[in-house]
Amino acid sequence: MIEVKNLKKRYGDKQAVDGISFTVKKGEIFGILGPNGAGKTTTLEMMETLRSIDSGTVLIDGIDVKKHPQKIKYIIGVQPQTPAFQDKTRLTEVIELFAAAYGEKVDPMAFLRDVDLEEKAKNYVEDLSGGQKQRLSITTALVHGPKVFFLDEPTTGLDPQARRHLWELIGKVRDKGISVIMTTHYMDEAEVLCDRIAVMDNGKIVAIDTPQNLIKQLLERGFKKKQHVQQANLEDVFIDLTGKELREGA
Amino acid sequence: MADIKRTWYTIWTFARISTKRFFRDRTALFFGLAFPLVFLFIFGGLNSGGGDVSFNVAIINNSESEFAKQFVKEAETGGVLKVDNDITTLDAAKEKMSRSELDATIELPADFGTIKGDSTYPSGEVQVLYTQNNQQSAAALTSILDAQMKAINGQFVTSVTPFTVQGQEINERSLSAFDYTFAGLLGFAIMGMGIFGPINVFPELKKMGILRRLSTTPIKVWQYFTSTMISQAVTGIVGIALMFIVAITVFHLEVVGNWFELGVLIIVSMIMILGIGLALGGWAKNERQVAPLANIIVFPMMFLAGTFFPRFLMPDWLQNVSAFIPLTPVIDGIRLIATEGKHLIDILPQVGLIGLWLIVIYFIAFRVFRWE
Repeated sequence: MIEVKNLKKRYGDKQAVDGISFTVKKGEIFGILGPNGAGKTTTLEMMETLRSIDSGTVLIDGIDVKKHPQKIKYIIGVQPQTPAFQDKTRLTEVIELFAAAYGEKVDPMAFLRDVDLEEKAKNYVEDLSGGQKQRLSITTALVHGPKVFFLDEPTTGLDPQARRHLWELIGKVRDKGISVIMTTHYMDEAEVLCDRIAVMDNGKIVAIDTPQNLIKQLLERGFKKKQHVQQANLEDVFIDLTGKELREGA
Repeated sequence: MADIKRTWYTIWTFARISTKRFFRDRTALFFGLAFPLVFLFIFGGLNSGGGDVSFNVAIINNSESEFAKQFVKEAETGGVLKVDNDITTLDAAKEKMSRSELDATIELPADFGTIKGDSTYPSGEVQVLYTQNNQQSAAALTSILDAQMKAINGQFVTSVTPFTVQGQEINERSLSAFDYTFAGLLGFAIMGMGIFGPINVFPELKKMGILRRLSTTPIKVWQYFTSTMISQAVTGIVGIALMFIVAITVFHLEVVGNWFELGVLIIVSMIMILGIGLALGGWAKNERQVAPLANIIVFPMMFLAGTFFPRFLMPDWLQNVSAFIPLTPVIDGIRLIATEGKHLIDILPQVGLIGLWLIVIYFIAFRVFRWE
């Protein structure tokens, strides 16, 4: 579904994304992990047509993002890091607006029902909690039936309940056959949710596999946890790959 | 064909919901609808009552004669003079005149209206006292009193008047101060809604990432601008209509022009001025960037276009320059149609200038717009 080849992006003298390649299959959740400044968001934004591509190619469903950004917009859905909506807009109207942006007319209630917000349908967006805004944002990104769904740190700042609720929703999106690409800082989230993950550091992909395989590989290299023999989680993999040093903006 | 329909469905939906949002937002309602009305009441109030000439005077009557008493009574009830009855001494009158609270003082000497010597009729000299800064109104007052005296004289002494002057009003109606003020206030309201709206809203939408999110959808800038124009036209027409209702019912504005042509001119003008707001708000990354630039554009335009005082009061060179700024043809055009009964075809210079600015402004607005 998605094919990224040798993708590069430079800001001034910093090579933000340094020749990365990966593929994402139909109906899979692909996680991009990495410390702040690793190039996750830039990678996502190039795929979303929000940022120009210096070199390399991104093909989504066979369409070149660089050559046909307008066509790409019809087949992708985007969930920003902090979803925001204009005040004094009812939830139903938010859905109508986003559908209209694609020239489509939809039944807003059906989309609100998908994310358990139907009883809030007539409320204004400013009445929603953080988790409810995330859910509304997810459903607005799906109004046009995209083939690929991008989420940038969707659960940052949410409480554990809201997070688990969101995981369920993202799982449902995958089950519809939509490819999901997400970034996250939470290793438990990546472990539970992602079918495959890529770990980025300094603009490069340093590992790419299923969470289970990455953990297995680390254990095979003789890794041992201090207290518990034989056990490691994805967080250990992450720190092993990217180091313990605190990054700028962390 | 289906594509065109979808394109317009996008615009229409955005326009519809943004209009609803305006009417739900109390701040927007206040600045869009109530604020111009407040100005209308203030400036309309200043100008009303300017129709009749009246002079603020004090009358100091030193005479006991019946004629003098009659004269004072006439003066107080005649309507031309506003007599300040609190003043009885010349010193008090002088003090008030020096502060320009009084235009002049009328003094009747002690022998005023008495019959002197061997004549058979009363006589006397009315004295009009004034200060340097009231020369004009005092001269007008003197000639009014002079004319009254002549009429009185005619009753006592018949005389022949071979040459006379007769003033006659030929215009059925002429522009009052309020006509100028109202056109200016409409211009002010159009500018307020068109510029202050977008420059406040757009940087906010950028800061929250709302425009950025929108840019991942296929909506195009021109569709977004057009929907903003439509919703602005709808809300603007409501605001302008309210101003007309108040002006007609409270301040007796008489609209002699064609309402349809007036409406067309106002809507096109609103869209043109909105372009300035879209260019500023669409270009700016944040509020801090937009505020200084907006002030540089808005304040000179407001004063030079004749918003608060008519342009004919300016020196010639300034009139020539200010004739070309975007708001000037709007204010002139509205006045020419609404109060002078002109048609769009008669005011082609104004219409042409609005059209020209429309093209220039939107060309710039599209070039400088950024989603984030």
